Amino acid sequence: MSRALRPLAIAAAVAALGSVVVAVATAVAAESSSTGWAELVALAIGVAVPASIGLALVLRRPGTRVAWIVLLGALSVGVVMAAAGVAELVRQDDPGSALGAWALLAAQQWMVLFFWPLALAYLFPDGRLPSRRWRPVAALALASGAGAVLLLALQPTLEDAFGEVANPIGIDIDERAGTIAFWACWGGLLLSLFGGALALAARYRAGDAERRRQVLWLAYGALLAPLWLGGNSLLVRVGGVSIDGALEFGVLMVLQVWPAVAVAVAVTRHGLYSIDRLFNRTVVYAALTALLTATYLGVALVAGRVAGGSAFAASAGTLAAALAFRPLRDLVQDAVDRRFARARYDGVRMVREFLDDVRDGCGEPEDVGAVLALALADPRAEVVFRLPETDRYADRLGHLLDVLPADGRARTVIGRDERELGVLLHDPALARRPDLLGPVLEAAAVPVELGRLRVELRLQLAEVESSRARIAQAGYAERRRIERDLHDGAQQRLVTLGIVLRRLQRSLPGEARVLSPALDAAVAEVAGAIADLRTLAAGVRPPRLDEGLAAALEDLARGAAVPVEVAATGDRAPPEVEAAAYFVACEALTNAVKHASPSRVRVQIERTTQALRLVVDDDGIGGASPSGSGLAGMVDRVAAQGGTLAVDSPAGAGTRIAVELPCAS
Amino acid sequence: MRVVIAEDTVLLREGLAGLLEDAGHEVVGRAGDADALLALVGEHAPHLAVVDVRMPPGYDDEGTRAAAVIRRSHPSTGVLMLSQHIETRHIVDLVAEGGGFGYLLKDRVLDVDDFLDAARRVSEGGSALDPQVVARLIGTPKPDDPLEELSPREREVLGLMAEGRTNAGIARRLWLTEKTVETHVRTILMKLRLQVSADDHRRVLAVLAYLRSSQGQH
Repeated sequence: MSRALRPLAIAAAVAALGSVVVAVATAVAAESSSTGWAELVALAIGVAVPASIGLALVLRRPGTRVAWIVLLGALSVGVVMAAAGVAELVRQDDPGSALGAWALLAAQQWMVLFFWPLALAYLFPDGRLPSRRWRPVAALALASGAGAVLLLALQPTLEDAFGEVANPIGIDIDERAGTIAFWACWGGLLLSLFGGALALAARYRAGDAERRRQVLWLAYGALLAPLWLGGNSLLVRVGGVSIDGALEFGVLMVLQVWPAVAVAVAVTRHGLYSIDRLFNRTVVYAALTALLTATYLGVALVAGRVAGGSAFAASAGTLAAALAFRPLRDLVQDAVDRRFARARYDGVRMVREFLDDVRDGCGEPEDVGAVLALALADPRAEVVFRLPETDRYADRLGHLLDVLPADGRARTVIGRDERELGVLLHDPALARRPDLLGPVLEAAAVPVELGRLRVELRLQLAEVESSRARIAQAGYAERRRIERDLHDGAQQRLVTLGIVLRRLQRSLPGEARVLSPALDAAVAEVAGAIADLRTLAAGVRPPRLDEGLAAALEDLARGAAVPVEVAATGDRAPPEVEAAAYFVACEALTNAVKHASPSRVRVQIERTTQALRLVVDDDGIGGASPSGSGLAGMVDRVAAQGGTLAVDSPAGAGTRIAVELPCAS
Repeated sequence: MRVVIAEDTVLLREGLAGLLEDAGHEVVGRAGDADALLALVGEHAPHLAVVDVRMPPGYDDEGTRAAAVIRRSHPSTGVLMLSQHIETRHIVDLVAEGGGFGYLLKDRVLDVDDFLDAARRVSEGGSALDPQVVARLIGTPKPDDPLEELSPREREVLGLMAEGRTNAGIARRLWLTEKTVETHVRTILMKLRLQVSADDHRRVLAVLAYLRSSQGQH
């Protein structure tokens, strides 16, 4: 079957609901005493609910036989009920009218009430008989059903409260033979009803846990139908008991609503056809329709009795129904969700509350995995984010995953607008609960999206930081190499040159001694060059850093223009961290001397397990701006090591620069 | 005196050897790394080993470590360390722990007479400490430091003592008579509350030990 059948389905549903309207309208117009308000309400519910459920199923899955059974079943019941109403209305004025006769003929087919629930019992949920062995039983059901219909349609006369009328298509059959044939058909039908219950029982036995849950509710209903029918017939025909019309009507309507609701339950709670959400809406609107109808009729009835005017009654009923719509809808939606989809209701609510937390800033979107584990009641559930820029996967802590873990967990893509945001790793059993998984994941799309963006950002930041640290380290290594080159290369050569000059000088023969002062000057020049090189090399990287930060800082303090007190322990840190601390101390000292006119400067070094702490404070004029250019170089140097720098420089009260460079000991 | 030279830069090594040979010393061995140095010292038991601090393979402090080995295994061999830059790690300890040890920046070699004097002192069990190291040791005295009580001249004399020079050497250097130097030395030792000893070398060691302890760290 194709989607082209959809208009047909809508037409059928509209016709079914239309027939309800006709039935109610004719009953009201006839001011019938035989059809009370309670019966009308039962009728409206009994047709509207299966029609809505059937329509919803067909619209979503046009190929589903069960859906058509429910929909057309509701239509057939509606038509028969409407026909009864029309027959009553028409024959009230003119018992002999042709229209009345035809309507009465149609109204004879009350047995359709049982046909569609019976078909459902045999064919639910896959539209096929449980097995080939059930064919004879199905054939019996078909034959007896068709026989009963034919016998009722072809009886010579039709009769109701307004008297007898000839059947337009009636044929003359022997009354006795007719009665026997009818009872045979009736018996066959009854047997078929029991057969239907057995068919469901067979499906229940053969099915897995999921299938059993799907079938269970329908099976209860299937037992109810033959029990009622059989018991009723016995009581009335054999026991001579009269059964209250309203009660009978009510029970029959329950028989109509029950199978439709059972199908709805199977779909919503147990994942049948995977179309639960639409279904949920249908159930809500069916229930809502019923409640509104009841409200309308109830108010109209009371108003009619009190005020007497039908126009006023109709207006009051309409008003009441309109007013009740909103609160009723919310109530019904909530009730339906709670009852039919408790797990989903709780799961979605949990995710929404989490999203609210995230919005309020008291939740981290990366934790969505833990929330989903709770919402889906699967402790192993975990969200893996798909990073937007690189198309890689990463867990909540930002660890990249080359491959998704293959540990028996199932994977469900979390997406939004066709984009993959991440993957949920979960218990494979959850895959059979799309009714739960789908809506919960849909609700989780926003936090997952936020989470993956944050993870990506954090990864990129970490990459930048580590590349900056690598550059800083490479820079340090380069400085060290240059320092060594200066010492071991150029400086060695100059010393060698000086020695050559000295030996030359000392080997000069007597008459050449006049050259000696010139050679002294040359050697002095060489010595000056060596001293310059040494200073240069120390600027590149103080060689005393080899002995530790304390030794290097002592040297720095000794060369400073103001008294500098160094408090440092001998604890070592990685060379590049010590170098960074040294140069920061250098700059801080230079700044202090240049700008703050201190009488003393204090440099403190403290090694903790996680960091190297440097504090440089002076008693100068203070007022240094933390954003000033003098501090920018220091800040960069510290940042390159992933550290922090704090400046406290109140005007007139000295300056204190505190640096923390991370390094595990 | 017999000398072994350990220096990985060949030209510099030959220059040093030339200087020593010009002064009449006998260079019995030339080494390019610490292992060769130790072998030569074992073989020749020289009066003096002139040792570069940084040598292959690591160019770190191989020379210093080899020097410590020589001091233990050949106490009669003096060790004169040459460095490209001041590094006081272990150096003052090595000098102060006993005679026969010296530490100079390489370019001190260009003051040839001073260098030869230092070499001779070290080979005879005396000491030689680079003036820059001494300057650090004396440094800026803290309050209540007995060094504060020294006159500038006395400080100058103390520095030269710490460098390992003898009274005669100090006298030459400062253009004073030995007797004047002797007086300064006595005053200094008294102010620092050190034992007066007639032996130049032992006096130097006492001064170094004093400076080392008063500075606390280097």
